[in-house]
Amino acid sequence: MSAFALKQSETIRGASVALRHVTRSFGTKPVLEGIELDVKPGEFIAIVGQSGSGKSTLLRIIAGLDNGFQGSLSIDSAKGQKTAARIMYQEPRLLPWASVIENVAFGLGPQSTRHQAFAQARAALDAVGLGDRGGEWPDVLSGGQKQRVALARALVSKPDLLVLDEPLGALDALTRIGMQSLLERVWLEQGFTAILVTHDVTEALTLADRVVLIENGRIALDLAIPFDRPRRRGAVQFGELEEHLLTALLKSKSKTEEYVI
Amino acid sequence: MSELTLLATRHSDRKRDALASLFRVSPNGFIPWLLPLSLLVLWQAAASYGALPPSILPAPFNVAKAAWRLLLSGELLTNAAISFKRAFSGLIVGGSLAFLLGLSNGLSRISERSTDTTIQMVRNIPNLALIPLVILWFGIGEEAKLFLVSFGVFFPIYINTFHGIRTVDPQLVEMARSYGFKGFELFRRVILPGALPSILVGLRYALGIMWLTLIVAETIAAQSGLGYMAMSAREFMQTDIVVLAILIYALLGKAADGSVRIIERLSLAWHPAYRKGVRS
Ligand SMILES: Nc1ncnc2c1ncn2[C@@H]1O[C@H](COP(=O)(O)OP(=O)(O)OP(=O)(O)O)[C@@H](O)[C@H]1O
Ligand SMILES: [Mg+2]
Repeated sequence: MSAFALKQSETIRGASVALRHVTRSFGTKPVLEGIELDVKPGEFIAIVGQSGSGKSTLLRIIAGLDNGFQGSLSIDSAKGQKTAARIMYQEPRLLPWASVIENVAFGLGPQSTRHQAFAQARAALDAVGLGDRGGEWPDVLSGGQKQRVALARALVSKPDLLVLDEPLGALDALTRIGMQSLLERVWLEQGFTAILVTHDVTEALTLADRVVLIENGRIALDLAIPFDRPRRRGAVQFGELEEHLLTALLKSKSKTEEYVI
Repeated sequence: MSELTLLATRHSDRKRDALASLFRVSPNGFIPWLLPLSLLVLWQAAASYGALPPSILPAPFNVAKAAWRLLLSGELLTNAAISFKRAFSGLIVGGSLAFLLGLSNGLSRISERSTDTTIQMVRNIPNLALIPLVILWFGIGEEAKLFLVSFGVFFPIYINTFHGIRTVDPQLVEMARSYGFKGFELFRRVILPGALPSILVGLRYALGIMWLTLIVAETIAAQSGLGYMAMSAREFMQTDIVVLAILIYALLGKAADGSVRIIERLSLAWHPAYRKGVRS
């Protein structure tokens, strides 16, 4: 039984996401053409695709940062209410003039009272293993630690939906593996819905319930990953799927980019 | 809960440390003063052995005596106080106008389009070139000095405030917006702190221009103040007072610079370049 099925039997906090015929163009150039995507509450989706295929564009639409699209997007919490997504970027985007804990509390928005905000921020920092670093300035932290602070800031408001745009892309291989298991752990604990854009096929296979491949502005492949959790990186069973995904990815390259010599 | 308080205190401790380090005399603290002190000794020696005629450059000892004399008569402090008041009124008037206009042009394109070109044109007029006109307008009253100093400090503060706001990291602004920050909260938490280093650079330039403008204005169009004191001493060939005035300008410049440094250390404690130990 997969972790997703396991989680479904418990209380799920995550939001469901539905995109209907989402189309986005910049100028005359269509980037997304009629995207149809359904994400179940608490599901972990990975989006892969060539550089420039529109992954970030799709994510920004889901995160509510881009309203210039056609089609419809609905995000509904488990209780049926509309809810907002939290976004994590490739860069940590921490405020350099605020201490680590203030940065995390920033994730609660402008209305939160300071005292209550700090208590919640402290709990979120604990969850990413940086509970003792709250009083420091962000720039003394390592790249991986900064990204953990950014994760704590995204999670402190207990979002129903977390979207991540290559959040681990700038980290070294070892730190990256550590961050992947951290991400999986908090996702399992908190039950939010996660949508992760990544270039790394192994990362997608390690973390996601489903991998979606975007090609020429459309969804070219939607693949369920049936393995049990916790998954071990590079496990033998990955082999076939990994090759399948990589071939699909590389094929999409030869279609989108033609070199004339 | 106590741990939380601890975190908060640890944070404010840092600010106190930054303040303390400003006043701590480090073992190497005398090194910057080595050169000025030896120059002083050389100068005194040259004067005592007659190599420097007093009408060209009086001995440091005589300058000190002049300082003491003027201090006792109250002339020095009165003039210094007058100059100080003029300088800072100009800074406050010109500086706050510049700050507000810099903010408004940095934040709003409409405001920028309607005023920035004009400001850039006026900026190229050296403010001291306005002295004849200003004397015609205001005579040699206080308004003349206020106008010249305000005019002089306006541009560095305006330009650096404007530039600081425009160069705030747009990625941070997008991040803050996605967490629901907008309007005044966005300004207070993200835009102003992001622009502050640049604004303080502007303030530092402004302080230099402030003294320069004031001293020139006082030598030409005033009946009190340090510049006037030096100018009237020249008429009576009192080189000691002239030199004293010049030394006071040097000290005032240094003090102004030092106070901006204190402000920078306190408000930019987060900035690696201003952290304790990096710049001592
Ligand atoms: N604001 C914009 N204005 C104009 N064109 C844009 C804009 N944002 C994205 N594009 C274009 O849309 C296309 C898709 O960009 P997007 O950033 O979504 O790609 P991506 O799949 O995230 O690529 P990468 O993997 O390199 O991050 C690109 O061709 C890009 O030039
Ligand atoms: Mg991208």
